[in-house]
Amino acid sequence: MEEKRIPEFFFNPSSVAVVGASANPAKLSHIIMKSIEEAGFRGSVYPVNPAHQEVLGRRCYPSLDTMEEGVDVAIFALPAEKVVEELQKGASNISGAIVISGGFSETGPRGRRLEEELLSAAKDKGVRIVGPNCMGIYDTVSGLDTLFIPYDRVDRPPAGRIAILSQSGSFALTAMDVLAREGIGVSRMVSYGNKIDVDEADCLDFLRDDENTDAIVMYIEGIDDGRRFVESARRCKKNLFAIKVGRREAGKRATTLHTGSIAGRYELYRAAFREAAITELSGFEEFIDACRAIHRFRPAGGNRVMIITDGGGMGVSVADMCVDEGLVLPELPEDVAEGLGKILPPYFTISNPLDLTGNATDEWYLTTLAKTMTHRSYDAAIVVLLWGPPGLTDALPSKICELSKRVGKPFLICSPGGRFTERMSAIFETLGVPVFSTPEGAVRAASIIAREGG
Amino acid sequence: MKMRGIIKAALKEQRKILSESEAKRLLRALKVPVAPYGVVKEAEEACKVAQRLGYPVVLKVISPDITHKTEAGGVCIDIADEEALKRAWMEMVLRVAHKRPGARIEGFIVEKMIKKGVEVIIGAIRDEQFGPVVMFGTGGIAVELFRDVSYRLAPASLETAQEMIREPRGFVLLNGYRGAPPCDTKGLAHTVVKVSELLCNLDELEAVEINPLMVYEHGVMAVDAKATLS
Repeated sequence: MEEKRIPEFFFNPSSVAVVGASANPAKLSHIIMKSIEEAGFRGSVYPVNPAHQEVLGRRCYPSLDTMEEGVDVAIFALPAEKVVEELQKGASNISGAIVISGGFSETGPRGRRLEEELLSAAKDKGVRIVGPNCMGIYDTVSGLDTLFIPYDRVDRPPAGRIAILSQSGSFALTAMDVLAREGIGVSRMVSYGNKIDVDEADCLDFLRDDENTDAIVMYIEGIDDGRRFVESARRCKKNLFAIKVGRREAGKRATTLHTGSIAGRYELYRAAFREAAITELSGFEEFIDACRAIHRFRPAGGNRVMIITDGGGMGVSVADMCVDEGLVLPELPEDVAEGLGKILPPYFTISNPLDLTGNATDEWYLTTLAKTMTHRSYDAAIVVLLWGPPGLTDALPSKICELSKRVGKPFLICSPGGRFTERMSAIFETLGVPVFSTPEGAVRAASIIAREGG
Repeated sequence: MKMRGIIKAALKEQRKILSESEAKRLLRALKVPVAPYGVVKEAEEACKVAQRLGYPVVLKVISPDITHKTEAGGVCIDIADEEALKRAWMEMVLRVAHKRPGARIEGFIVEKMIKKGVEVIIGAIRDEQFGPVVMFGTGGIAVELFRDVSYRLAPASLETAQEMIREPRGFVLLNGYRGAPPCDTKGLAHTVVKVSELLCNLDELEAVEINPLMVYEHGVMAVDAKATLS
């Protein structure tokens, strides 16, 4: 299969034009101009609109073909019918087009015809297209932000190592808003909407060599060329995650055989994800959890987890969830168990999960964590730290963080609770260690970093 | 090449569905064991074939208008002797005529009733987005009821096929359930690989399915096979 040329100019443009840029602050095109400014895009920005002399203090051109110099990327925020016309006129002046406008195939036969015209015009002139009917690109590396949602409504995440690819603009944007609140960074986000040209495979082809990106999280409704997607994903040796929505869609094959009628689309997506080493995420919550885990933890070396707690019941419940997620809980190696037996009271059951009971002290936590986690039997620890026991002090968080760093394995802290607990969790947070307020969140994160490593 | 010949013949007659016997010849060309059978037109001939194969036998209708033979009353199993075979023949002709009026009957298959093994299904389809895909599932009716199946993009490697076999919950049946000896999962995996390669090698083939394939302690055997052309 012939590999399409990677449209790198979308990710490192030195100049952009906003076609249809309005001076009216209520218009989407105006908000896009402001987003580009607020994101700190370092290249040149040219508004294009025959109705204005200038927009936001920048000289405005009547159309793309009246510009003296070409631009890398033109962002189209015009009614659908006008997009094709403008693109044809200005094609020789641009390399890529981000078509934000809706009103194409998603609206019916008329829109579909417009979309076909758009694609054939672009192909004719050698212009690559992101969209139409999309949010476009948010990129902390190039500083480009084509989102038509104002900054006071949806926050943008800081620079980071996670790339987001999404068919849906609103999904990606909502996710980014949540990530921003937690300070989780993003390298690049592409929302490609109807993706008549640039699709997830093209983006993967670019991202596989992008030194700013370590992990890629995808939101997928449907993939047109499944084989090409799998090949691109296979070539991309980064940590890949995907959520597939529309899972109930039936297969469209006209066949009389069982094999055809049993196979729903979703089953084939799962097979493809497996083939491409993509970790599947179940929904929005897992999507966020995955970003959180990627951002805060290094991949675990495997799926073997040690659970230490001072609340027996909570420990067993976490253990159940771990097993459901495919994590394993190895029993303590004999020498480790023996060593701990000498330190802990004789009535203790030394097992995994390890319950330090209401008599727990800082010292017990640190000793048991050190002895178990330095052993090669474990890849990660889940510390279900309940702050009831008086033997636990506010000196513990920093000591646990120190130990985790020294051991070089991820410790996931899980502390459900009320006001006092929240104060203790805040100490962890200031040390840069996240605290999960639910067992479910901690186990999911453990499962994600285990899958990443395995 | 044998397989292309079978497909060409069907295309020449503008048929989209291969007959059971054609589908089984595809399998034979792949060296997948198939339950011994003969194709006959007359009851007398059926008796001769049955004699040669040895009783008990199975009688199946051949009709281009019937894909699911059991539902159409076109399958009779466990026929013990010549008398029973003649009776089964008469009854089947009447039953099929009643359930599928107007269906063309081109003949019958007389097949050796092979011993029971663990029933599995192996299929391959051509998907509009993912291309050739192979499916594996355990246990006759359970396949439809519970969709207890696994999928991979084709062609599948032997290692992948072995993974696929372990995925459905019904794998326990293959792995020595209730004291039975474990089944020949290696032979089964090889069969999955062969079916997965079939669609990759024959562009005209739209789908193929072995259902059921009997899996034994040693070896496998196809009992029924279907194939469609695009």
